[in-house]
Amino acid sequence: MNELELKQLWQTTNKKLEENLAMNVKLADDLTRVKVHGIIGSMKPIKLFTIFIGFLWVVIGAGYLGGVFANTYQEANKFFLYSATVQVVLTAIALGIYFFQLSLIYQVENTDPILQTQKKLAQLKVSTLRVTRIMFLQIPVWTTFWWNESMLSDWNVLQLGVIASVTVAAIILSIWLFLNIKYENRHKKWFHLIFSGNEWSPLMKSIDLLDQIKDYEPDGNVQI
Amino acid sequence: MMEKEEQKNFFQEIINQHKGILFKVARLYCRDEEDRQDLLQEMMIQIWQSLHKYNDQYKISTWLYRISLNVAISYFRKSSKREQRYTPLTEKTAQIALEDKSENENQLLLLEQFISELKEIDKALMILYLEDKSHTEIAGILGMSVSNVGTKISRIKEKLKSRFSQLT
Repeated sequence: MNELELKQLWQTTNKKLEENLAMNVKLADDLTRVKVHGIIGSMKPIKLFTIFIGFLWVVIGAGYLGGVFANTYQEANKFFLYSATVQVVLTAIALGIYFFQLSLIYQVENTDPILQTQKKLAQLKVSTLRVTRIMFLQIPVWTTFWWNESMLSDWNVLQLGVIASVTVAAIILSIWLFLNIKYENRHKKWFHLIFSGNEWSPLMKSIDLLDQIKDYEPDGNVQI
Repeated sequence: MMEKEEQKNFFQEIINQHKGILFKVARLYCRDEEDRQDLLQEMMIQIWQSLHKYNDQYKISTWLYRISLNVAISYFRKSSKREQRYTPLTEKTAQIALEDKSENENQLLLLEQFISELKEIDKALMILYLEDKSHTEIAGILGMSVSNVGTKISRIKEKLKSRFSQLT
Protein backbone atom coordinates (compact mmCIF):
# COMPACT_ATOMS: atom_id res chain seq x y z
CA MET A 1 0.00 0.00 0.00
CA ASN A 2 1.55 3.30 -1.07
CA GLU A 3 1.33 6.75 0.54
CA LEU A 4 -1.59 7.91 -1.60
CA GLU A 5 -3.59 4.74 -1.01
CA LEU A 6 -2.98 5.01 2.73
CA LYS A 7 -4.23 8.60 2.83
CA GLN A 8 -7.20 7.85 0.56
CA LEU A 9 -8.15 4.99 2.81
CA TRP A 10 -7.96 7.29 5.82
CA GLN A 11 -10.16 9.86 4.10
CA THR A 12 -12.98 7.33 4.07
CA THR A 13 -13.00 7.74 7.87
CA ASN A 14 -13.99 11.36 7.34
CA LYS A 15 -16.93 10.32 5.17
CA LYS A 16 -18.02 7.78 7.75
CA LEU A 17 -17.76 10.38 10.48
CA GLU A 18 -19.77 12.93 8.51
CA GLU A 19 -22.54 10.37 8.20
CA ASN A 20 -22.51 9.29 11.82
CA LEU A 21 -21.62 12.42 13.70
CA ALA A 22 -24.52 14.21 15.18
CA MET A 23 -22.80 16.43 17.65
CA ASN A 24 -24.90 16.94 20.66
CA VAL A 25 -25.23 20.71 20.77
CA LYS A 26 -26.85 20.51 24.18
CA LEU A 27 -23.77 18.72 25.52
CA ALA A 28 -21.51 21.51 24.25
CA ASP A 29 -23.85 24.03 25.84
CA ASP A 30 -23.84 22.12 29.15
CA LEU A 31 -20.05 22.07 29.17
CA THR A 32 -19.92 25.84 29.10
CA ARG A 33 -21.51 25.72 32.55
CA VAL A 34 -18.97 23.29 33.97
CA LYS A 35 -17.11 24.90 36.82
CA VAL A 36 -13.33 24.95 36.66
CA HIS A 37 -12.17 22.47 39.28
CA GLY A 38 -9.26 23.45 41.45
CA ILE A 39 -6.47 21.03 42.27
CA ILE A 40 -8.51 19.48 45.11
CA GLY A 41 -11.68 19.18 43.03
CA SER A 42 -9.89 17.35 40.24
CA MET A 43 -8.52 14.60 42.50
CA LYS A 44 -10.03 11.14 42.92
CA PRO A 45 -11.88 10.58 46.24
CA ILE A 46 -9.56 7.73 47.29
CA LYS A 47 -6.49 9.90 46.75
CA LEU A 48 -8.09 12.78 48.64
CA PHE A 49 -8.95 10.42 51.50
CA THR A 50 -5.37 9.08 51.65
CA ILE A 51 -3.95 12.60 51.71
CA PHE A 52 -6.46 13.63 54.36
CA ILE A 53 -5.46 10.67 56.57
CA GLY A 54 -1.77 11.47 56.03
CA PHE A 55 -2.36 15.11 56.90
CA LEU A 56 -4.34 14.17 60.00
CA TRP A 57 -1.58 11.75 61.05
CA VAL A 58 1.04 14.49 60.77
CA VAL A 59 -1.05 17.09 62.62
CA ILE A 60 -2.02 14.76 65.49
CA GLY A 61 1.49 13.27 65.62
CA ALA A 62 3.18 16.69 65.63
CA GLY A 63 0.78 17.95 68.32
CA TYR A 64 1.33 14.95 70.55
CA LEU A 65 5.11 14.83 70.11
CA GLY A 66 5.39 18.59 70.57
CA GLY A 67 3.53 18.19 73.89
CA VAL A 68 5.88 15.40 75.01
CA PHE A 69 9.00 17.41 74.09
CA ALA A 70 7.66 20.47 75.91
CA ASN A 71 6.20 18.90 79.04
CA THR A 72 7.19 15.30 79.78
CA TYR A 73 10.49 14.83 77.97
CA GLN A 74 12.35 13.49 81.04
CA GLU A 75 9.89 10.66 81.67
CA ALA A 76 9.26 9.81 78.03
CA ASN A 77 10.58 6.67 76.31
CA LYS A 78 13.31 8.23 74.13
CA PHE A 79 13.28 5.35 71.62
CA PHE A 80 9.59 5.87 70.97
CA LEU A 81 9.89 9.66 71.01
CA TYR A 82 12.69 9.91 68.45
CA SER A 83 11.37 7.09 66.25
CA ALA A 84 7.95 8.72 66.09
CA THR A 85 9.49 12.15 65.45
CA VAL A 86 11.50 10.84 62.50
CA GLN A 87 8.40 9.10 61.12
CA VAL A 88 6.18 12.19 61.41
CA VAL A 89 8.84 14.53 59.94
CA LEU A 90 9.45 12.21 56.96
CA THR A 91 5.69 11.86 56.34
CA ALA A 92 5.30 15.66 56.47
CA ILE A 93 8.17 16.15 53.97
CA ALA A 94 6.70 13.50 51.63
CA LEU A 95 3.24 15.10 51.80
CA GLY A 96 4.72 18.54 51.09
CA ILE A 97 6.66 17.31 48.05
CA TYR A 98 3.62 15.40 46.80
CA PHE A 99 1.41 18.50 46.99
CA PHE A 100 4.05 20.68 45.35
CA GLN A 101 4.38 18.23 42.45
CA LEU A 102 0.62 17.97 42.09
CA SER A 103 0.36 21.75 41.87
CA LEU A 104 3.04 21.77 39.13
CA ILE A 105 1.19 19.04 37.20
CA TYR A 106 -2.00 21.08 37.49
CA GLN A 107 -0.29 24.13 35.96
CA VAL A 108 0.92 22.37 32.80
CA GLU A 109 -0.77 23.78 29.68
CA ASN A 110 -2.60 21.41 27.33
CA THR A 111 -2.30 23.99 24.56
CA ASP A 112 1.50 23.65 24.33
CA PRO A 113 3.14 21.26 21.82
CA ILE A 114 2.56 17.57 22.60
CA LEU A 115 6.16 16.55 23.30
CA GLN A 116 6.76 19.55 25.55
CA THR A 117 3.54 19.06 27.56
CA GLN A 118 3.81 15.29 27.84
CA LYS A 119 7.48 15.48 28.82
CA LYS A 120 6.69 17.93 31.62
CA LEU A 121 3.75 15.85 32.86
CA ALA A 122 5.62 12.55 32.67
CA GLN A 123 8.71 14.01 34.37
CA LEU A 124 6.58 15.39 37.18
CA LYS A 125 4.79 12.09 37.59
CA VAL A 126 8.07 10.16 37.60
CA SER A 127 9.53 12.62 40.11
CA THR A 128 6.88 11.41 42.58
CA LEU A 129 9.40 8.57 43.03
CA ARG A 130 11.07 11.00 45.45
CA VAL A 131 8.04 10.70 47.73
CA THR A 132 8.33 6.91 47.67
CA ARG A 133 12.07 7.10 48.40
CA ILE A 134 11.44 9.31 51.42
CA MET A 135 8.69 7.04 52.71
CA PHE A 136 11.07 4.05 52.49
CA LEU A 137 13.56 5.95 54.68
CA GLN A 138 11.24 5.49 57.64
CA ILE A 139 11.47 1.68 57.62
CA PRO A 140 14.15 1.55 60.42
CA VAL A 141 12.12 3.60 62.92
CA TRP A 142 9.32 1.02 62.73
CA THR A 143 11.83 -1.44 64.22
CA THR A 144 12.94 0.84 67.07
CA PHE A 145 9.83 2.66 68.34
CA TRP A 146 8.96 -0.15 70.79
CA TRP A 147 12.46 -0.33 72.36
CA ASN A 148 12.93 0.84 75.95
CA GLU A 149 15.81 1.37 78.37
CA SER A 150 15.03 -1.58 80.67
CA MET A 151 15.15 -3.90 77.68
CA LEU A 152 18.81 -2.98 77.15
CA SER A 153 19.73 -4.05 80.69
CA ASP A 154 17.39 -7.06 81.04
CA TRP A 155 17.74 -8.82 77.69
CA ASN A 156 20.56 -11.26 76.94
CA VAL A 157 23.13 -10.79 74.17
CA LEU A 158 21.34 -13.13 71.76
CA GLN A 159 18.01 -11.30 72.10
CA LEU A 160 19.69 -7.93 71.67
CA GLY A 161 21.67 -9.29 68.73
CA VAL A 162 18.47 -10.34 66.96
CA ILE A 163 16.70 -6.99 67.33
CA ALA A 164 19.88 -5.07 66.45
CA SER A 165 20.30 -7.21 63.29
CA VAL A 166 16.71 -6.50 62.24
CA THR A 167 17.29 -2.76 62.69
CA VAL A 168 20.62 -2.79 60.86
CA ALA A 169 19.01 -4.75 57.99
CA ALA A 170 16.16 -2.20 57.88
CA ILE A 171 18.67 0.67 57.78
CA ILE A 172 20.64 -0.93 54.95
CA LEU A 173 17.46 -1.73 53.01
CA SER A 174 15.98 1.76 53.40
CA ILE A 175 19.22 3.52 52.38
CA TRP A 176 19.65 1.19 49.43
CA LEU A 177 16.06 1.84 48.28
CA PHE A 178 16.49 5.58 48.86
CA LEU A 179 19.60 5.65 46.67
CA ASN A 180 18.38 3.24 43.97
CA ILE A 181 14.72 4.08 43.37
CA LYS A 182 15.27 6.36 40.40
CA TYR A 183 14.35 6.67 36.73
CA GLU A 184 17.70 5.23 35.60
CA ASN A 185 16.83 1.89 37.23
CA ARG A 186 13.40 1.68 35.59
CA HIS A 187 14.21 -1.47 33.63
CA LYS A 188 15.52 -3.48 36.61
CA LYS A 189 13.48 -6.47 37.77
CA TRP A 190 13.30 -5.34 41.42
CA PHE A 191 11.99 -1.96 40.27
CA HIS A 192 9.10 -3.62 38.42
CA LEU A 193 8.46 -5.81 41.44
CA ILE A 194 8.07 -2.80 43.77
CA PHE A 195 6.02 -0.78 41.30
CA SER A 196 3.71 -3.50 40.02
CA GLY A 197 -0.07 -3.29 40.39
CA ASN A 198 -2.73 -0.85 39.22
CA GLU A 199 -1.82 1.84 41.71
CA TRP A 200 1.56 2.28 40.07
CA SER A 201 0.31 1.99 36.50
CA PRO A 202 0.28 5.78 35.79
CA LEU A 203 3.88 5.99 37.04
CA MET A 204 5.06 3.09 34.87
CA LYS A 205 3.21 4.53 31.87
CA SER A 206 4.92 7.88 32.47
CA ILE A 207 8.28 6.11 32.46
CA ASP A 208 7.35 4.41 29.20
CA LEU A 209 6.24 7.76 27.73
CA LEU A 210 9.54 9.39 28.72
CA ASP A 211 11.34 6.59 26.89
CA GLN A 212 9.23 7.34 23.80
CA ILE A 213 9.92 11.09 24.07
CA LYS A 214 13.63 10.37 24.46
CA ASP A 215 13.45 8.62 21.11
CA TYR A 216 11.96 11.80 19.58
CA GLU A 217 14.55 14.20 20.95
CA PRO A 218 17.72 14.91 18.95
CA ASP A 219 20.02 14.42 21.96
CA GLY A 220 17.83 11.71 23.54
CA ASN A 221 18.30 13.40 26.89
CA VAL A 222 15.58 13.13 29.53
CA GLN A 223 16.35 14.71 32.90
CA ILE A 224 14.27 13.80 35.95
CA MET B 1 -10.35 38.95 26.16
CA MET B 2 -13.66 37.50 24.96
CA GLU B 3 -16.94 38.14 26.74
CA LYS B 4 -18.68 35.08 28.24
CA GLU B 5 -21.44 34.97 25.61
CA GLU B 6 -18.96 35.53 22.80
CA GLN B 7 -16.80 32.74 24.24
CA LYS B 8 -19.78 30.40 24.39
CA ASN B 9 -20.69 31.04 20.74
CA PHE B 10 -17.07 30.62 19.66
CA PHE B 11 -16.88 27.34 21.58
CA GLN B 12 -20.00 25.92 19.94
CA GLU B 13 -18.81 27.08 16.55
CA ILE B 14 -15.39 25.43 16.78
CA ILE B 15 -16.83 22.25 18.25
CA ASN B 16 -19.33 22.02 15.40
CA GLN B 17 -16.78 22.81 12.72
CA HIS B 18 -13.93 20.68 14.03
CA LYS B 19 -15.70 17.86 15.86
CA GLY B 20 -14.11 15.41 13.41
CA ILE B 21 -10.66 16.12 14.93
CA LEU B 22 -11.87 15.22 18.41
CA PHE B 23 -13.71 12.10 17.27
CA LYS B 24 -10.80 10.77 15.25
CA VAL B 25 -8.30 11.31 18.06
CA ALA B 26 -10.67 9.76 20.61
CA ARG B 27 -11.38 6.79 18.32
CA LEU B 28 -7.72 5.92 17.94
CA TYR B 29 -6.76 6.39 21.59
CA CYS B 30 -9.84 4.68 23.01
CA ARG B 31 -11.46 1.65 21.42
CA ASP B 32 -13.98 1.21 24.22
CA GLU B 33 -17.13 3.23 23.53
CA GLU B 34 -17.77 4.22 27.16
CA ASP B 35 -14.18 5.36 27.71
CA ARG B 36 -14.29 7.23 24.43
CA GLN B 37 -17.31 9.26 25.54
CA ASP B 38 -15.46 10.17 28.76
CA LEU B 39 -12.41 11.15 26.76
CA LEU B 40 -14.44 13.29 24.35
CA GLN B 41 -16.09 15.07 27.25
CA GLU B 42 -12.69 15.67 28.87
CA MET B 43 -11.36 17.11 25.60
CA MET B 44 -14.30 19.49 25.30
CA ILE B 45 -13.96 20.59 28.93
CA GLN B 46 -10.27 21.34 28.33
CA ILE B 47 -11.08 23.27 25.14
CA TRP B 48 -13.71 25.32 26.95
CA GLN B 49 -11.40 26.03 29.86
CA SER B 50 -8.52 27.04 27.57
CA LEU B 51 -10.62 29.16 25.24
CA HIS B 52 -9.79 32.46 26.92
CA LYS B 53 -6.10 31.74 26.23
CA TYR B 54 -6.61 31.05 22.53
CA ASN B 55 -4.03 32.92 20.51
CA ASP B 56 -5.01 33.54 16.88
CA GLN B 57 -1.40 33.31 15.76
CA TYR B 58 -2.15 29.57 15.61
CA LYS B 59 -4.61 27.95 13.24
CA ILE B 60 -7.62 26.76 15.21
CA SER B 61 -7.02 23.19 13.99
CA THR B 62 -3.41 23.28 15.28
CA TRP B 63 -4.66 24.48 18.64
CA LEU B 64 -7.38 21.79 18.75
CA TYR B 65 -4.97 19.02 17.79
CA ARG B 66 -2.63 20.09 20.59
CA ILE B 67 -5.41 19.99 23.19
CA SER B 68 -7.09 16.81 21.99
CA LEU B 69 -3.85 14.86 21.61
CA ASN B 70 -2.49 16.09 24.95
CA VAL B 71 -5.75 15.16 26.70
CA ALA B 72 -5.88 11.76 24.98
CA ILE B 73 -2.28 10.86 25.90
CA SER B 74 -2.71 12.07 29.49
CA TYR B 75 -6.04 10.23 29.78
CA PHE B 76 -4.42 7.01 28.64
CA ARG B 77 -1.55 7.45 31.11
CA LYS B 78 -3.75 8.29 34.11
CA SER B 79 -6.05 5.33 33.70
CA SER B 80 -5.01 2.06 35.22
CA LYS B 81 -7.81 -0.04 33.73
CA ARG B 82 -6.67 0.61 30.17
CA GLU B 83 -3.59 -1.55 30.49
CA GLN B 84 -2.99 -3.84 27.53
CA ARG B 85 -6.22 -2.88 25.82
CA TYR B 86 -4.85 -3.37 22.35
CA THR B 87 -4.22 -6.97 21.56
CA PRO B 88 -2.17 -7.14 18.39
CA LEU B 89 -4.18 -8.59 15.53
CA THR B 90 -3.08 -11.99 14.29
CA GLU B 91 -3.88 -13.33 10.83
CA LYS B 92 -6.56 -15.62 12.26
CA THR B 93 -8.33 -13.04 14.45
CA ALA B 94 -8.18 -10.50 11.63
CA GLN B 95 -9.99 -12.85 9.28
CA ILE B 96 -12.72 -13.51 11.83
CA ALA B 97 -13.11 -9.79 12.51
CA LEU B 98 -13.27 -8.88 8.86
CA GLU B 99 -15.95 -11.30 7.71
CA ASP B 100 -19.04 -9.72 6.13
CA LYS B 101 -17.36 -6.38 5.44
CA SER B 102 -16.50 -4.72 2.15
CA GLU B 103 -12.87 -4.65 1.04
CA ASN B 104 -12.56 -0.94 1.79
CA GLU B 105 -14.13 -1.26 5.23
CA ASN B 106 -11.78 -4.13 5.99
CA GLN B 107 -8.73 -2.12 5.03
CA LEU B 108 -9.90 0.83 7.10
CA LEU B 109 -10.56 -1.38 10.11
CA LEU B 110 -7.09 -2.84 9.80
CA LEU B 111 -5.53 0.60 9.44
CA GLU B 112 -7.31 1.82 12.57
CA GLN B 113 -6.32 -1.30 14.46
CA PHE B 114 -2.66 -0.97 13.44
CA ILE B 115 -2.58 2.70 14.41
CA SER B 116 -4.18 1.82 17.75
CA GLU B 117 -1.32 -0.58 18.40
CA LEU B 118 1.30 2.16 17.98
CA LYS B 119 2.91 3.90 20.96
CA GLU B 120 1.19 7.12 22.06
CA ILE B 121 3.50 9.65 20.38
CA ASP B 122 3.84 7.60 17.17
CA LYS B 123 0.06 7.41 17.07
CA ALA B 124 -0.24 11.21 17.33
CA LEU B 125 2.26 11.61 14.50
CA MET B 126 0.43 9.12 12.30
CA ILE B 127 -2.97 10.77 12.81
CA LEU B 128 -1.50 14.12 11.73
CA TYR B 129 0.23 12.55 8.74
CA LEU B 130 -2.95 10.82 7.56
CA GLU B 131 -4.87 14.05 8.03
CA ASP B 132 -2.53 15.43 5.37
CA LYS B 133 -0.92 18.03 7.61
CA SER B 134 2.32 19.49 6.29
CA HIS B 135 5.56 18.49 8.00
CA THR B 136 5.88 22.07 9.28
CA GLU B 137 2.43 21.96 10.85
CA ILE B 138 3.06 18.52 12.37
CA ALA B 139 6.35 19.82 13.80
CA GLY B 140 4.44 22.77 15.33
CA ILE B 141 1.75 20.57 16.89
CA LEU B 142 4.15 17.99 18.27
CA GLY B 143 7.04 20.32 19.10
CA MET B 144 9.82 18.66 17.10
CA SER B 145 12.04 19.53 14.16
CA VAL B 146 10.67 19.30 10.60
CA SER B 147 13.46 16.92 9.53
CA ASN B 148 12.71 14.61 12.45
CA VAL B 149 9.03 14.51 11.40
CA GLY B 150 10.03 13.09 8.01
CA THR B 151 12.31 10.46 9.50
CA LYS B 152 9.75 9.30 12.05
CA ILE B 153 6.90 9.15 9.52
CA SER B 154 8.97 6.98 7.19
CA ARG B 155 9.71 4.55 10.01
CA ILE B 156 6.09 4.29 11.12
CA LYS B 157 4.88 3.87 7.54
CA GLU B 158 7.30 0.98 7.14
CA LYS B 159 5.85 -0.61 10.27
CA LEU B 160 2.30 -0.20 8.95
CA LYS B 161 3.21 -1.60 5.54
CA SER B 162 4.81 -4.60 7.12
CA ARG B 163 1.70 -5.18 9.30
CA PHE B 164 -0.52 -5.00 6.21
CA SER B 165 1.72 -7.35 4.26
CA GLN B 166 1.67 -9.88 7.12
CA LEU B 167 -2.10 -10.17 6.74
CA THR B 168 -2.33 -10.23 2.95
